[in-house]
Amino acid sequence: MKTRRLLIAALLLVLVLMAGGWPVANRWRPHTFHGMVIQSPQPAPDFTLTTHQGQRLSLSDLRGRLVVLYFGYTFCPDVCPTTLSEWARAMRLLGPKADRVQVIMITVDPARDTAEKLGAYLAHFDPRFIGLVGTEDEIARIATLYGIYYQKHEDGGENYLVDHTATQTAIDQEGYIKLVFPFGTKAEDIADDLAYMLR
Amino acid sequence: MRRALVYGLAALVGLLVIAAFAFVLLQPIQVLPRIRLAPAWVLRDREGRLVSNEDLRGQIVLYTFTYTRCRPPCPQPDRTMQAIYRRLAAADLGDVPVTLMTISFDVAHDSPAVLKAYAAAWGAEDDRWRFAVGTDPQRLKTVIGEGFQVYYQPREDGRFDFDPVYILVDGWGIIRREYRYRTLTPDVDRIVRHIGVLAEEVQNSRGAARLAYEAAHLFLCYAP
Repeated sequence: MKTRRLLIAALLLVLVLMAGGWPVANRWRPHTFHGMVIQSPQPAPDFTLTTHQGQRLSLSDLRGRLVVLYFGYTFCPDVCPTTLSEWARAMRLLGPKADRVQVIMITVDPARDTAEKLGAYLAHFDPRFIGLVGTEDEIARIATLYGIYYQKHEDGGENYLVDHTATQTAIDQEGYIKLVFPFGTKAEDIADDLAYMLR
Repeated sequence: MRRALVYGLAALVGLLVIAAFAFVLLQPIQVLPRIRLAPAWVLRDREGRLVSNEDLRGQIVLYTFTYTRCRPPCPQPDRTMQAIYRRLAAADLGDVPVTLMTISFDVAHDSPAVLKAYAAAWGAEDDRWRFAVGTDPQRLKTVIGEGFQVYYQPREDGRFDFDPVYILVDGWGIIRREYRYRTLTPDVDRIVRHIGVLAEEVQNSRGAARLAYEAAHLFLCYAP
């Protein structure tokens, strides 16, 4: 009798491992981020710039929200619109949780990107996105500290292009850099990571 | 029946806990921490070409900062770089590219031509060990001082006070290890070993193995 019970228990254990183990492990396993995780012990460098609505805004003003920084420019022919479209789609996928996310685009072309132009450009993607403008020196410093390279092509006349790093940086609610998304990350993957950070 | 189910679940949880403990204790995979973003930069190399951090994306880069007139008792971090350069020439890192990068903060004196002669004196024969300098002292201070968090200060005699530092950056532009002279003795063996650990992660952290590497990061299985 006792042996039979033990056999049933062993059989059940195997069944649990086979049938229930995978979903349980899937539910409890740590989230695998699509972006590159950073465990920085230092807060993200703070900065203050002007929004497309003309207000001064510091990164630290957004503490408590998940902030996504993207460096681009409105004359950008392909990389910027592609990236911003994915982020707009990710915001839609997040649903109500997106209200706790602030996507920010900092221009790397301050000579041509006025606040008005940046605001109108971002509204095409998602009216909740904020554009930031500043002086050449302010933007150069911030981009440097966030590892963002940019360089103006001098050979294009007035219609010049600007080479720039196309990664996006996610800063958590406590103000620490948490994730770096490479160019080409799909909206579904972005939303999956952000939903986990907002859980 | 219910008791058997409870036992089964308890056994499953127990197995998971034991597996997690075994991973932490045995550390089958070791990694280097992802410390913070390395700063961006655009500098001139010893050939006078513009070179940027973006040109080195995808490569492991070991940085140090100095100036060409640095002579003993000036600490000469390029002595350590030279030893690492020689060791890496014989190391098997698969197809993972590694670049050593010496950045001069002496904008006024260290022209590309001066850097070229300096590089030749250290035996840096190719772009596996690059030398570069900025043109704008203020921007360079932002890169080295604020971004890499390295102290340097010009003196009245034209020389510099500075802390010798070696900073290891991965192909994503993330700082993975810092060797600061005043806190850690620069150790060629350790730096070369860490470059190997990073190269292994680059080569192996794909597909299902990526989960194991992420677990190593999660459980802080850091290479000593």
